[in-house]
Order: sequence, then structure tokens, then C-alpha cells
Amino acid sequence: MADVLSVGVNLEAFAQAISAIQALRSSVSRVFDCLKDGMRNKETLEGREKAFIAHFQDNLHSVNRDLNELERLSNLVGKPSENHPLHNSGLLSLDPVQDKTPLYSQLLQAYKWSNKLQYHAGLASGLLNQQSLKRSANQMGVSAKRRPKAQPTTLVLPLQYVDDVISRIDRMFPEMSIHLSRPNGTSAMLLVTLGKVLKVIVVMRSLFIDRTIVKGYNENVYTEDGKLDIWSKSSYQVFQKVTDHATTALLHYQLPQMPDVVVRSFMTWLRSYIKLFQAPCQRCGKFLQDGLPPTWRDFRTLEAFHDTCRQ
Amino acid sequence: MPVAEGKSVQQTVELLTRKLEILGAEKQGTFCVDCETYHTAASTLGSQGQAGKLMYVMHNSEYPLSCFALFENGPCLIADTNFDVLMVKLKGFFQSAKASKIETRGTRYQYCDFLVKVGTVTMGPSARGISVEVEYGPCVVASDCWSLLLEFLQSFLGSHTPGAPAVFGNRHDAIYGPADTMVQYMELFNKIRKQQQVPVAGIR
Ligand SMILES: [Zn+2]
Repeated sequence: MADVLSVGVNLEAFAQAISAIQALRSSVSRVFDCLKDGMRNKETLEGREKAFIAHFQDNLHSVNRDLNELERLSNLVGKPSENHPLHNSGLLSLDPVQDKTPLYSQLLQAYKWSNKLQYHAGLASGLLNQQSLKRSANQMGVSAKRRPKAQPTTLVLPLQYVDDVISRIDRMFPEMSIHLSRPNGTSAMLLVTLGKVLKVIVVMRSLFIDRTIVKGYNENVYTEDGKLDIWSKSSYQVFQKVTDHATTALLHYQLPQMPDVVVRSFMTWLRSYIKLFQAPCQRCGKFLQDGLPPTWRDFRTLEAFHDTCRQ
Repeated sequence: MPVAEGKSVQQTVELLTRKLEILGAEKQGTFCVDCETYHTAASTLGSQGQAGKLMYVMHNSEYPLSCFALFENGPCLIADTNFDVLMVKLKGFFQSAKASKIETRGTRYQYCDFLVKVGTVTMGPSARGISVEVEYGPCVVASDCWSLLLEFLQSFLGSHTPGAPAVFGNRHDAIYGPADTMVQYMELFNKIRKQQQVPVAGIR
């Protein structure tokens, strides 16, 4: 970019500065030449010393002079790259073939656009943070740029802690039994049996619930090789519906800093299905709607509603 | 389910199935439940003249590999279909009652998670009544879903909806099994045998 740099700023000063550098270099090399040649070609020792010192002084003076000249010129050349708000890219505006390649105006527009985008993204991130719909502790705000990429701490909780939280929940609800297993390494899988009503397979990632499948009490929850079957869905429509609602609940109960509270809230909500076949809809008062019992449970009140009867 | 006035068993079955179809139920093949009565042979009875016990041997197309042997108010035995052969060998102890064979045949309907079987009960050559079986697969404890079943029954039986069968009352939260269904069919068949025209529905 050196040649482009000189174009707009002070071409003359720049050319002079280059020749000043050349002059400085030659005067410096003359100093060393003089030192290398030493005291030669003089008859008396005194004459030789005198002539050498005078010659050496001359050379040093010229170095000094050239250096001063270069310093003066370099001030004239200035520092264009730091004066322009767009830094080096600002120099594109100096391109004489502007009409053919409107790079600079495009660049400006892109810059404005990305500024706006950043502004709006900041607003959106602020709003979303208030709603706390996020599942990880990884804050995505403007500050994320400056912070080093940190693993969300809740993803690396010790296994023992996870076990403790689960067993405490297990003891909390007598009609609910939770069986924890780790068939694939560190991620826990829970088999929750709720009374004689339903079974739930919960796939965990640390203390985050990744996936849930709800099945009937009499349905098989294992694959042929004896592992928990986390992929196939229930053959009953009512449990497919409850599975959908449970997935919604996972997104509703979010508190990234306190994952244990989230798991507990989810299980409390899940427990309200103990009356899946016995509770009439709180809105229409009926048991059945299109052949299904009230499959929805309110997140706060835990009241039973048909899917289409909830507010 | 009583036969509607001035109509035959056949017409009432048609009326019922049409109501189910309007509700949105889908046809899913047929079903059949049969029952044969045996009594203990006279030679094996005690000297005090105690009455011989009745045993019912039943089959249900829903469980094609099983054979059910029931005693009135007694245990229910679930065995392989080979049991029929065994009964022939036990002729000396159990004798088949003459013309006792009673069965119900009809269509299976699926509505959401409900399984509905509407059948015509026949004894010998004559149609004696209608059986309606409703099964709600997701729920394994009968008493848990009685209100829900009742609402469903009312939607197509209207005012003829029966009261809760005995299974719902006894054994509070026991898991419902095939034997419970067979006991209900046995009770239904016995009622039909005793009465001439019978208004009963079995509910599962
Ligand atoms: Zn409702």
C-alpha cells in the first residue's frame, strides 16, 4: 500500500523523503569508509591524525544533516492511515477510477449496515435476556467479543453432583421413581416411572435436559439389546401429545445459572400427569376432546386442560 | 345394549356402528370371543351331593395363542391353545354341556386410543344380544379411567350407557389384564343365557 499511501497525502514530500533516506545511507556509509581507510597517505603522524579527524567530523556532520532533513520530511508526509476514520480502507475513496468500481460507496453502505445490525442485535439480545429463554449460561451480548470463549460452567458439572440432584428429586416425590443410568459415557439418562400412568425417558447433558419421550406404563422402553430406547415414540396418541407438551416444558423452564432448579421444576410439572386419566379439563369440564383426555398441564398452576382449551 | 324397539339385532348393530363411524372411528378387522361350558362329571362328585362346579373354556381372537379357563367367581387360568386337547383327555372329569357354546362376533373399531368391539352374541343358530367392548390402551388401571370411559360410552350409547362393571370396584389399583376382559365376557354370556333378550354391555 506504500505507493497508494503517498498519492493522496503529500507526494512531493514523500519523494523528497525517499531521496533524504538515500542521502542518509550514503553519508553513513561514508563514515564507515573513512573509518575503514584509517590514517593513510600523509607523511607525518600529526598531519595524518589531523586530516583523519577533520574528515571524520565532516562525515558525521553530513549524517546529522541528512537525518534532520529526513525527520523534517517525515513530519510532512504525516500518518494518513491513522487520521482516516475508516483507516486504510478510507483510501479507496482516493481511487481515480471511482466510477468504474464503486468499491468505496459500497464499502460505506456495508459499514453503515453492519453498524445498524450490531445495534439492533444488541437491543434484541437485551430483550431476550430478560425473557431468559436461553438454555446455556453463554451470554451472547456485545461483551461476548471481548470475553474469551468460555465453556458454560453448567456443562461440566461433576457426575456426583448430578447424581445427588437427581436422587434428591427422586426422594421428593414418592409416586415417582427415577432410575439413572449412563450408557454412553458421562451423559445421564433417566427412566422416570410415574405411578401406574406413564414412563418418561429423559436424556440429560450434565444437568440440562436434552430430550424427553413419554410412553405408556405398559409400553416397552428398551430396545432389543436392553438399552433405553430414546428414539421410538409411544404408539398411543395421548402419550405422543404429552411428549410434545413435555418438550415445550423443557423450553419453558429455563434458568441457566441454576440447572438443578430447572430439573426440579420440570419433574414437579411432570408429576401432575399422575391424574392424566382422572382429571377433567378445567375449562370445558369434560374428559375427552377428539378422543384425548386433557393432555396439557399449566406451567404455573399445574391445572389440566385440553390442548385446544388452554389460554 | 337393548335391541331397539321394532328392530332386529342386526339393525341395532348397524345403527351402533354407524354412530361410531360418524364419531370418526376406523374399521380395523373383526373379532370373535367364544365360550363353552363344562361341568364336573357326575362320577367325580362327592357323596354329600354337592353341586358340580361349572368351568368355562373361552377363546379371544385378540389373544390367538391363548385359551382361558374360568370358574364362576373363581380363578382364571390362561393357557396355550393346546388346552383344548387336554380338555378332550379330561372327559372323565369335565363334560361339555350340550349346546352350551355361545359366542360373539363383530367388527373392531379404532378411535384415537380407544378400541371398540361391537359384536352380535349368538347361541346356537339364534342371535341373542349385542356386546360392546371398549378398551382404552394407554391406561393400565381400570378404576383410573372409568369417568373417561363413561364419557366416551355416552357419546355413542347415549342413555343406554351401563354402570361400572365389578372390575372397576374391586382390586383398587391393580393392573388390568386379558383375564379381566374374559371374566366380563363370561358374566355377560351368563346373563344372556339366563334372560331371553338381554340389555348388557361389557366394558373394559
Ligand atoms: Zn377442555
